[in-house]
Amino acid sequence: MRNATCVKMALNMLLHSKLRSWLTIIGIVIGVGAVVGIVSLGDAMEAQVQSRLSDLDLAKITISPGYSGAQSRMGGPPGHGGEEGRGGSSSTDTKLTDDDVDALQGIDGILYIDTQISGSEEVDYAGETATLFITGVDPQVWQYMNSLEVESGRLLEPADKNVAVIGNSISTEIFDQDIGVNQVITVNGKSVRVVGILEEEGGGEDKRIYMPIDSAVDLIEDAEEDVFDSIVVKVESEDLVNPTVEEIEEKLMVSRQIHQEKDRDFSVSSSLSLVESVTAMTSAMTLFLGAIAAVSLLVGAVGIANTMFTSVLEKTKEIGTMKAIGAKNRDILMIFIVNSAMVGFVGGIFGVMLGGFVSTLFPYLGVTLMKGGSGTVTGLSPDLMAFGLGLAVLIGVISGAVPAYRASKLKPVDALRYE
Amino acid sequence: MLMEIADTLRTKLDPRKTLNSLKGDADPGNSSTGNGTGYDSENDSDPELHEERTGNSDTVKSSRNGKVPLIKLTDVWKVYQMGEVEFAALKGVDLEIYEGEFVVVLGPSGSGKSTLMNLLGCLDIPSHGTVSLNSRDISRMDESELAQIRGQMIGFIFQSFNLIPTLNTLENVTLPLEFQEEESSRARERAEYLLEIVGLSDKHHNLPSQLSGGQRQRVAIARSLAVDPPVLLADEPTGNLDSKTGNYILEFLDELHRKEGKTVIIVTHDMTPVKYATRVVHIKDGEIEKIDEVEGNFCKL
Repeated sequence: MRNATCVKMALNMLLHSKLRSWLTIIGIVIGVGAVVGIVSLGDAMEAQVQSRLSDLDLAKITISPGYSGAQSRMGGPPGHGGEEGRGGSSSTDTKLTDDDVDALQGIDGILYIDTQISGSEEVDYAGETATLFITGVDPQVWQYMNSLEVESGRLLEPADKNVAVIGNSISTEIFDQDIGVNQVITVNGKSVRVVGILEEEGGGEDKRIYMPIDSAVDLIEDAEEDVFDSIVVKVESEDLVNPTVEEIEEKLMVSRQIHQEKDRDFSVSSSLSLVESVTAMTSAMTLFLGAIAAVSLLVGAVGIANTMFTSVLEKTKEIGTMKAIGAKNRDILMIFIVNSAMVGFVGGIFGVMLGGFVSTLFPYLGVTLMKGGSGTVTGLSPDLMAFGLGLAVLIGVISGAVPAYRASKLKPVDALRYE
Repeated sequence: MLMEIADTLRTKLDPRKTLNSLKGDADPGNSSTGNGTGYDSENDSDPELHEERTGNSDTVKSSRNGKVPLIKLTDVWKVYQMGEVEFAALKGVDLEIYEGEFVVVLGPSGSGKSTLMNLLGCLDIPSHGTVSLNSRDISRMDESELAQIRGQMIGFIFQSFNLIPTLNTLENVTLPLEFQEEESSRARERAEYLLEIVGLSDKHHNLPSQLSGGQRQRVAIARSLAVDPPVLLADEPTGNLDSKTGNYILEFLDELHRKEGKTVIIVTHDMTPVKYATRVVHIKDGEIEKIDEVEGNFCKL
């Protein structure tokens, strides 16, 4: 039998199939739709996470006081959270001091060590007040540790005192009157001159104020000399991040005279581990959702197999007739397998359409799912569509194989006698 | 296996066989039926085919004088296992059917005639004994070889027509040719031609459900002729038809026998086909009771 004949017969069967068969297809539609939708969701999440994390400097390691197992694994949320999130009860108990900085000095691969303090303080400008996040940094190294660029003015310099570099939206949005370079803001009653305005970064970065740590100590409540809220270390390359993290942990354990893991009172986190854990988390989530979708696909496959079995039973006499007039076992096998593949194909088409439709809903869903959800999702990629279709056809073939084999093995005598 | 298929083909290409007329019809450009009259019941205008048929009758006559039978059953048993009990549907049947005969296998239900038909049609293999077609033993063949033989040598006509309900008339008639991998345009031409012969030219696109019983059986006959097999095997072909339509079908088969030299085998419990037969095989309780020769009907010209 020619392939064309086989396809023709299979198509004929499909077109004359009963409502039941079409209902079966729904199983595949939902299964494929779910898988395609979820894979697309996973892609979108990953893209979003990547775009958010790409701004991070992956060669930075942050040491902060206080410890819980989760923190060292997960780090904080991207950006400011890494430092801001601390300062709670844990940091009042334990402190990072110059001793810790000294302990770090000997570690290979470290380029710069920046000591930071931070706090939310009241900022007055032109008669208005806002509570803003102030970070005191070491002006000696800070400018080398960041990829921050100024829109106007300059970054902090070693000799600076009582000056600040402010985020872009502080300059333009927070106060009615725009803040320009060399204008003076008041922090907790003390005057601070703005020397630079950073380029727009997006998110919380734009609402931060950077000051030399020596000046910031005077402004930030609870701050003490030589006590830091965090120590930020820059290493030579990303490859060195993980070994350096380990080395830092070892050195600090020694210098802080901590002998047991449970007594540990500091955390070391890196943007890299953050990226890794976030990526791992999104892919785990995608995998999990994908597994659920796969279950629905499996149910769809069983549905197809079931319908094919019924169909073979119904067509027993036709199979007998076809064999009597010269169809070989292989011909029957192929007709039924191709028919089943077609069922899968049709299911796949509708499934991909369903998946595409679902993925257009992500931006609405995404508001809660991914904070901000900047709507990077736009339809399905051709690869994903092909994958969905291929998967559906494959499932059709697999679930049709056994019924088709049964059909092909029917003895013509028995098949013809079947009523 | 390949050798066997080649063998089958060689056998089929034996000049004694009517296969050349099959090739001719399947290929309109070829000799005998290119003019479209090959199956015309008034085909006296076609000397070539007439000659061929005469040739066939000669073959048959000589076959009966000691030549090789087309189908030969030797001590054929068919035993079914019914749970614990064995049931013999055929008990040592010997039967020879020669080319160009019109054989009616007559027997009541339960006589084993259906089992016999299955064996004659290569639909089944015997439990014991041999069935040979063109001197080839089919009892040792596998399913795909049997399918090959059925597809090329035997045209089936069933009591309940057994048309594929989802295929239209034309597609039903084309189907056997498609299983033989005939080129689709030729298969179509052949099918159109056969439908014209059975008088259903205007029903090409009707589904079987849109046809009357007689029309369906005519489609089934057209289908059985699609590959131009030497043997037509009919199982109660008139069983589901009223007597008038039934007689028309029988006369049509008779014409195929007389004018095309087809070997026709009808398995039935009905006496009506007997009057067309050259031989009547009476079967009862799995054994051949008697065989009547009907001389008058044999190759009447």
